[in-house]
Amino acid sequence: MKRISFILSIVLISMSTSTIAQVSGKLKTTKTHIKFFSTTPAEDIEANNYASVSTINTETGDGVFSVPMQSFEFEKALMQKHFNSDNFLDTKAFPTAKLKGKITNLSEVDFAKDGTYLAKVTGDLTIKGKTNPITESANITVKGNTVSVSSKFNITLADYGIEFVKGKPASNVAKTVEVTVHSEYQPE
Amino acid sequence: MKRSKIIRIGLIAVLAAIVLGGATGYYLFNMPHRDVHSAKTDYQLTASALVTEYLENADAANEKYLAANGDSKILEVTGVVHKITEDFAGNKVIILKNASDKAGVSCTFNGEIGSLSLGASVTVKGVINAGASYDADMELYQDVVLNNCTLVN
Repeated sequence: MKRISFILSIVLISMSTSTIAQVSGKLKTTKTHIKFFSTTPAEDIEANNYASVSTINTETGDGVFSVPMQSFEFEKALMQKHFNSDNFLDTKAFPTAKLKGKITNLSEVDFAKDGTYLAKVTGDLTIKGKTNPITESANITVKGNTVSVSSKFNITLADYGIEFVKGKPASNVAKTVEVTVHSEYQPE
Repeated sequence: MKRSKIIRIGLIAVLAAIVLGGATGYYLFNMPHRDVHSAKTDYQLTASALVTEYLENADAANEKYLAANGDSKILEVTGVVHKITEDFAGNKVIILKNASDKAGVSCTFNGEIGSLSLGASVTVKGVINAGASYDADMELYQDVVLNNCTLVN
């Protein structure tokens, strides 16, 4: 009887700690949304990607997004073909893009407490085989055992070897494109 | 008389070229996306074989399966349902993966998939977007990505 209650109390303690202890360590998700948005007087162009893989390490502040470039979907099929082509993103030669960042103010983000935190992130963005440093901020929301990350920043296409000097792409694709990143993590 | 006839024919030719050019432009601009579901399947294989092919030689596999304009190969992949999730667009995502494999095949569906149970063997038709690989930064194996998927059986 004593033994049973001992085992029971251990089970109860471990159960309660597992519900109290919120997310920690490395989290992985495929629930992601990355959007490219370009606006010019000629037109607005939007592309959406829901197939990226991401990890975030709550202890080190490291975050990674791996983006399958051919998963970007455009409303117009022709734009999608242009986007993939070798004079734009050359997705056959460079099928994935990568965002690698580190939270620099990790002490201000409490993954163990519900809330929304403004994280400062520095890192590298690699598109079309070219890597450039980025410094952006991201909103991190902790709710129960779910962590959400969202961020919005601009990238200059020329930094990644994408430049149009004439024709329709030059007038219809913005030189600077807005990138929106959203991801949601849960412990597995 | 002769001269005016030439001018007339010339005018008709120019007009025809304008109409044809405009129509082609209009068609290109509004070109529909490829209908993956009814398009011909390029390769039939198992999830294991596809993953192995990529892990052994990603460059060769990309050369074989990816198209420069994004309309990459259409595959019918057979495998075991390992996981069923939903993406941010509300689409169902099924991971086909053998328990002994390092990576699987992630298939995003456009419509309903009905009831599927974990462990069931299914064949999925879809277009390949990216291959399987080991990512040293994330310290994990990434699945093959298939999009515009439908169930074959």
